[in-house]
Amino acid sequence: MTFSSALASEVPSRRYVQDLNHRAWVLQDQTLMIVPRKERMVPITVTLMPCRHLETLEKDRGKPMYLGLLEPNCCLFCKKDGEQPVLQLEERSIIDLHAFREPVKPFLFYHSETGRTSTFESVAFPGWFIAVCSKGDCPLFMTQELGKTYITDFELIRQN
Amino acid sequence: MLLLLLLFCFRKLSDKISNTCKDRDMHHEAISADQPFAFNCTNPPLTYGEVNVVWYDAASKAPISKDNQSRIHQEHTWILILPLKLEDSGIYLCVIKNANNCVRIWMNLTVFEKHWCDNSRRSLPNLSDDYQQILRTGPSDSLTCHLYFPETCVLGPIMWYKDCKEITETRFVPVEMKLVVYDVSAEDSGSYACAAELTHAGRAYRVLNSINVTGRVGNERRIPKIIYPKNNSIEVQLGSTLIVDCNITDSKDNTNLRCWRVNSTLVDTYYSESKRIREGIETNVSFPEHIFYTVNITFLEVKMEDYGLPFMCHAGVSTAYFMLTLPAPDFRAYLIGGLIALAVVVTSVLCIYNYFKIDIVLWYRSAFSSTKAMEDGKLYDAYVLYPKPQKESQRHDVDTLVLKLLPEVLERQCRYKLFIFGRDEFPGQAVAHVIDENIKLCRRLILIIVPESPSFGLLKNMSEEQIAVYNALIQLGMKVILIELEKIEDYTTMPESIQYMRQKHGAIQWTGDLTESSQCAKTKFWKRVRYHMPPKRFPPSSSPAAEARTLQFPSRQMETKMGLISC
Repeated sequence: MTFSSALASEVPSRRYVQDLNHRAWVLQDQTLMIVPRKERMVPITVTLMPCRHLETLEKDRGKPMYLGLLEPNCCLFCKKDGEQPVLQLEERSIIDLHAFREPVKPFLFYHSETGRTSTFESVAFPGWFIAVCSKGDCPLFMTQELGKTYITDFELIRQN
Repeated sequence: MLLLLLLFCFRKLSDKISNTCKDRDMHHEAISADQPFAFNCTNPPLTYGEVNVVWYDAASKAPISKDNQSRIHQEHTWILILPLKLEDSGIYLCVIKNANNCVRIWMNLTVFEKHWCDNSRRSLPNLSDDYQQILRTGPSDSLTCHLYFPETCVLGPIMWYKDCKEITETRFVPVEMKLVVYDVSAEDSGSYACAAELTHAGRAYRVLNSINVTGRVGNERRIPKIIYPKNNSIEVQLGSTLIVDCNITDSKDNTNLRCWRVNSTLVDTYYSESKRIREGIETNVSFPEHIFYTVNITFLEVKMEDYGLPFMCHAGVSTAYFMLTLPAPDFRAYLIGGLIALAVVVTSVLCIYNYFKIDIVLWYRSAFSSTKAMEDGKLYDAYVLYPKPQKESQRHDVDTLVLKLLPEVLERQCRYKLFIFGRDEFPGQAVAHVIDENIKLCRRLILIIVPESPSFGLLKNMSEEQIAVYNALIQLGMKVILIELEKIEDYTTMPESIQYMRQKHGAIQWTGDLTESSQCAKTKFWKRVRYHMPPKRFPPSSSPAAEARTLQFPSRQMETKMGLISC
């Protein structure tokens, strides 16, 4: 039994993120990639903080969540690049985002859990999900195609 | 150092290739020897379009052959080494170019010797190409064989091994690149391997992936459980400080938000100005199966508006509230208070009654006087017995009281009928006989006593009288009204019978002026005497006869009426 007196509301949850093919999120060249997880490889630690201000957000899409990386300290966000939203990283503290009086929508993702997997849908661009290719190594991107070519279901692995 | 130098040389080389190319970070690949190796050079979204990709061997500064018969060659965006040899270790460079962009991707390849399932020959401890996978305990899970080769490579069926032995158990079902494992238990973790035959350009190779599998407890997604509050109410005094904990158990994997809300707004936001009600610090205790969270809400001061408002604790999809209520009246306190009040009232009533007892009784007698004559066979209301003091002044006083004032007040004003010894007896009768006979016809015995009358003439010397009085008192049980003409300092000088009567019935001390000719029945002394006298029954005054008398003797009747009123 361990006791934590930390301000849990100010300490994000830390997770590794994988798909069901045992590929893990890693950071390569400032780009979030998914690669088969190997023994010698340390997946990126993803930080999650639920948004506390739910008033202006949709209720049934999942828990609005800020997603960040532990090291380097940055956050995932969506922005429109031409026709479609793209997933980017911005150097920003997830705790600062969490402390905002209002939801910072580009940085928010509806976290929806089904069974053991989760999907992350952009709050700023509803219908667009964080996705990866179905095999090999590839970067993370945004898609509206669900259950087809790309994988949008991820597993959050608690670090021991 | 050598590596940096080498890298510097490659950069120089590549600078010749293009001066505008962007360098990507080095990819490090560590692979065991004697098996096929493939690496795809991509740089999305650049490689999604029409691009020119060229692989270079940095050591030889030469492009990699595109001849598919060559052991090391390039196919499309891939570099293929069939099979790997230890000497292939080194740095390789991939240059991606289109009309506008150029990207260089570096790969540091380390080839090492690995002897799968040969414990006699150890691999280098710091080199491994083992995959790391997780099997969750539960009905089923799967392992993946990562065999990622260009389309020119044809893969045969995948063989699965655990602890160097081929898996034959029916719980394990290979499906394409996966091994589905049913009824996963903790024992299913360990060293696995997947192997397949790879055919390329007519030649066959064996590719094998080692997989370290760790077991994990299946993450049962549980709904957070709020243990407290329980949609309950809390009694709290207005103006008091209050801290209420929200106790939650949730799964270890949860990412749920826990907070306090009022009217669907965070309490910290709702009370952002006054900060009167705040959400507290969240703490948690980790158990093997779950996490126990506590997050409190603090009321610096409970206000009237807080009562009846649901304060909701949220934990993910779960909610529970409490409401504040004013404390219920304390029935015990009320009961005690009531009893005390009752006791006070009763005591007050008793005190008032005691104080006004005489007035109340006299008022009652006058208000509810019965018109029915008393039928107790008595002729007189009181027998008056008095001493004959030797002192002239005392004798005079006694006579005044007995023969003048008593008849004036009790007989005339109050219409009592007295038997006064020395007035009402027939002459010649024996004293004892008079007393004995008449005392029986009286309802009370009025006994006048004076101090310092050592020769208490009445009872001391006249033994017959004494006997008669005793008889009256003891046999008839008569009530005695003891009237002290003056204050008696020392009762011990009195006969024992007097002492006894004083002790039993008390005494009324004369207060007033004996010389006053007119006495009022409403003075304290006379009230006390009247109180001890029997209730007076009056004959009906509204009878036609009485009215006739009124007409005949108006002045007398008025006087009588006055007397009636005063008694």
